[in-house]
Amino acid sequence: MAGHVITVTSGKGGVGKTTFSANVSAALAMQGKKTIAVDTDVGLRNLDIIMGLENRIVYDLVDVVEGRCQLRKACIRDKRIDKLHLLPAAQTRDKTAVSPDSMEKVCAELRHLFDYIIIDSPAGIERGFQNAVAGADEVVIISTPHVSSIRDADRVVGLLEAAEKQCIRLVANRLQIELVKRGDMLDIADMLDILSIDLLGVIPEDEYIVISGNRGELASANPDSKAGKAYQNIARRILGEDVPLMALDESKGLFKRLTGLFKHA
Amino acid sequence: MSIITKLFRYRPLGSDTRASKNVAKERLKLALTYDRSGLARGAIEQLGDEIIRLIAKHLEINEEDVQINFDRTTESDKLTASIPLNIVQRPRVTAEPAPAAQKSQRTKKSHSKRRRRPRHAH
Repeated sequence: MAGHVITVTSGKGGVGKTTFSANVSAALAMQGKKTIAVDTDVGLRNLDIIMGLENRIVYDLVDVVEGRCQLRKACIRDKRIDKLHLLPAAQTRDKTAVSPDSMEKVCAELRHLFDYIIIDSPAGIERGFQNAVAGADEVVIISTPHVSSIRDADRVVGLLEAAEKQCIRLVANRLQIELVKRGDMLDIADMLDILSIDLLGVIPEDEYIVISGNRGELASANPDSKAGKAYQNIARRILGEDVPLMALDESKGLFKRLTGLFKHA
Repeated sequence: MSIITKLFRYRPLGSDTRASKNVAKERLKLALTYDRSGLARGAIEQLGDEIIRLIAKHLEINEEDVQINFDRTTESDKLTASIPLNIVQRPRVTAEPAPAAQKSQRTKKSHSKRRRRPRHAH
């Protein structure tokens, strides 16, 4: 069975592509699919450190593209999560070391080895982005509910449509339900209205993302993390399951109920 | 309004009381209309000024009421100019008002869930 290549991109930097790529790859692996996460941010690699695999790197994507090693040798198997793998980027080169053509060849080879190939794109719309989308069967656009992020996402959607990429879906990241309720944050309906693409999923703001990054752990492996649950739901949707959107509402804790009482005293 | 706020031609910070996400949505839709077309808003306004100057050479126009609009839909892109003219007055015919007719409110059409995006300039 041929593998499926999903590229994760955004235009805007810092909106959660790498965290998404790492977590959804892990979630797919936990669903039993042999999955590899690929870092195409040559020169500014981060997928390895987010996944906690930074000490395991021997070869990288540029070594593969330049023929210094076989693709299999560069793929790192995660020892904590079965069926999860990483193909890291080089740190001492830049994005001109890889071309869209060489990426297509790498993707073709990866399709023989893995069920799912998640490509973490760098920010921007230049060579790194072009490399990342070259072999994509589908593209996920990560956007936060901010004017800058949405504007950049729109540009990226335009470029992808011009390149005739078929399946382009939005993940709305870092939603803060309290701000949305107050009318101070764009909600999912607003983002869909502006961008006019299909929705893959929504991920709430979650402190555990900071903590998991610190530890080199993944939220999707933590049943107590709301973001982790969202990543798992997205993985299930990628696999074709019809999973309803999570309610982002936080139920009031005991402390909040007590302070509510005191206000009326 | 105090003297100080009157001196500013734009709204003082914090005086727009609309929910901020609605302001954001409006600004984004406008910005994206221009981004997608490859035209800059400032360029459209300059173009408007040049059109007004050109027409004013040949006709008497009411410059303050000129409207230049740039509209994009999935079917077409249009630059529309509405230019009121000052021509020698002649008696105008006004229509008789309709006798106590029910003026029905047109309800907003519901949008279909999946909208086609405007074409991009590339």
